[in-house]
Amino acid sequence: MSLQVVYCNYQTTELDLRERLAFATSEQLSSAYQQLRALFPSSEAVVLSTCNRVEVYTAQDDLQEAPTRGELADFFSRFHGIPVDDFCEGLSNQSGPEVARHLFRVCSSVDSMVLGEPQIVSQVKQAYRVAEENDACGPLTNALFQGAIRVSKRVRSETRLAEGRVSVASVAVGEFARGIFERFDDKSVLVIGAGEMAEEALQYLQQDGVGEVWVVNRTQERAEVLAGQWGGKACRFEDLAALIERADVIISATSAVDPLVELSQFSEIRQRSGDRPVFILDLGTPRDFEPAIGDVDENVFLYDVDALQETCDRNRRARSGEIEQALSIIDDETDRFMQEVYHRATGPIIKQLREQWREVSDTELQRLRGKLVHLPEEDLGQIEQSVQRIVNKLLHPPLETLKDEAREGAPHGLLDALKQLFHIKD
Amino acid sequence: MGNVTIYCFLASYGVAFALELTRLLKQGAIRQLVVLMFVCAGFLAHTFLLWNHSQDADLPPLLSSSQDWLLVLAWMVTGFFLFITVCDRKLSIGVFMLPLVLVLVASSYFVSDATNTTLTSERGWSMLHAASLALGSVGVLVGIVLSLMYLLQHRRLRRGQVASTGFLLPNLERLARLNWWAVVISVPLLTTGMVTGLVLLLLGTGDGLSLADPVVALNGLSWLGMAGVFVWMLLTPRATGKQVAWRTLLTCGFLLLTLVGLSVLTGSHALAPETAMWNVPFEGEIP
Repeated sequence: MSLQVVYCNYQTTELDLRERLAFATSEQLSSAYQQLRALFPSSEAVVLSTCNRVEVYTAQDDLQEAPTRGELADFFSRFHGIPVDDFCEGLSNQSGPEVARHLFRVCSSVDSMVLGEPQIVSQVKQAYRVAEENDACGPLTNALFQGAIRVSKRVRSETRLAEGRVSVASVAVGEFARGIFERFDDKSVLVIGAGEMAEEALQYLQQDGVGEVWVVNRTQERAEVLAGQWGGKACRFEDLAALIERADVIISATSAVDPLVELSQFSEIRQRSGDRPVFILDLGTPRDFEPAIGDVDENVFLYDVDALQETCDRNRRARSGEIEQALSIIDDETDRFMQEVYHRATGPIIKQLREQWREVSDTELQRLRGKLVHLPEEDLGQIEQSVQRIVNKLLHPPLETLKDEAREGAPHGLLDALKQLFHIKD
Repeated sequence: MGNVTIYCFLASYGVAFALELTRLLKQGAIRQLVVLMFVCAGFLAHTFLLWNHSQDADLPPLLSSSQDWLLVLAWMVTGFFLFITVCDRKLSIGVFMLPLVLVLVASSYFVSDATNTTLTSERGWSMLHAASLALGSVGVLVGIVLSLMYLLQHRRLRRGQVASTGFLLPNLERLARLNWWAVVISVPLLTTGMVTGLVLLLLGTGDGLSLADPVVALNGLSWLGMAGVFVWMLLTPRATGKQVAWRTLLTCGFLLLTLVGLSVLTGSHALAPETAMWNVPFEGEIP
């Protein structure tokens, strides 16, 4: 059995490229899974696409059938219509135990731009759920992703990683919006999108005591639910331009494939609204506001996810102790997970071996019972127990050796030897 | 305390400024306390010197000599710095204000320290003249600092740069508001200073005003610049903070250069008898 991951994230690739490689909508994801199944029929696959990363996890029983980095790069290239050369340099890959370590780091938010952010857990869960809906995952990826959720819980409970500013919105508002505005209770806030990021932003802004809050989403019902939950007002998507004109703070986090607000449209809005300062946080991948909008006038303060990297790096340096502790937990859990995986690989062989020997001993005992009919039942029971003990004692050394080997890695050699010696078939 | 000299507090402020500069690299609570101690020590020495001069001349420090007028200006700026620092220790205001204090104190060394001996009947007018000019100049200096802070903060935010922990600036909204007030307060004060200067001129020698005099021309120009910004700000409610900051910086900077530059070049403060259009007729001033 083998595990692989091919990925690009905020550390390896610029947002410009990440947004082109992203699987933003459920339709895109379904189509991606369909293609992955066709290309790698014996592989399980899970695609994780967030604003910070695009990752494809694959797993299969036979290492020979594992997709290579090049094959997955070709898949990205064909799917998004981007030449491989454009992104190949930023595409990283891992295999074996490093895959588990990588996912555990991702899910524990150690690898996140905003250290300790909670959204990644639900993003990982969501990614696995979508893979399940598309019949793309299986027992290996199931174990891997269940393990990741478990590790993330442990990291959050045993370290202080999840304390402080742990959402992208809180970091952006804390670092930049507070540098622009003195207070927020007299400001109007527009939240575009009704997903988890938008909810997180709303939650933070409400805690900060903002003035009027408008929520806009393509699906009006979701906007109403979110607005109702956090004391905002749901508005129609058609009124977006009018709302942008009036808003002081705009936070956009949609999964739109194309920009929602284009340069020309925004320029017209600014002509009407004047030059008062406006803070725009674009958390969409692909981005919801055309990047050139930031240059419309000197009072437009436009930030995307990558603009927060420097702040997040500083935060990371300040909390290096917590990171060390989290990484130690992750290392420990990775070792444990891999042992379980290897042990699981030896399971069928051990089971077959035990069954085979039990079958032999049962046959012999049955034959003995036929010959020793004069013996009382009690004596026959003693003989049966002795035989079982002999079988167990004979099996014990090879099985223990197998378990010991499995702690270090998949014991392919030993398994093959056992199969040959005892005529065990797959 | 009779031994206090300009060098005492100049050195104190200098050390404080040097220490303040190091906060750009790394922040430290102890260093901040040391900076505050040095500024406080300098401020105390500064106060004693002005007090001594005032006692010797039997005049308020603003009127006792041209040098004292500049020293009072530096004293007020230092007081403002201490007030802001005590209110918010995290603000990096020292980096901006202490150089101004140093420039003012250092400039005073080159300005006449001769005691005024002529203030008699127009003492009230002279006091109003000197005080309004000094307060207006403090407003101008504060305007310069606020504008610089605004422009730096604006630049950082536009570039998406992280605020250095050792170099924290107020938000743009607050800076723009304070800047607006600095201009709005300082222009009427400077105007009052100029008008009282003219009154004193008329009450004194009765000599006409020569616009060809470069000192008169430069002072007049800088005042016109300030007044222009003042009117523009009042008439343009939609002016952006950055526009206000740039205009304030340019006009205030010009005014400051005029005040200090002319004081140094002419060897006395810009409002001294021979050089200013709003001067007090200091007949018999000891050279």
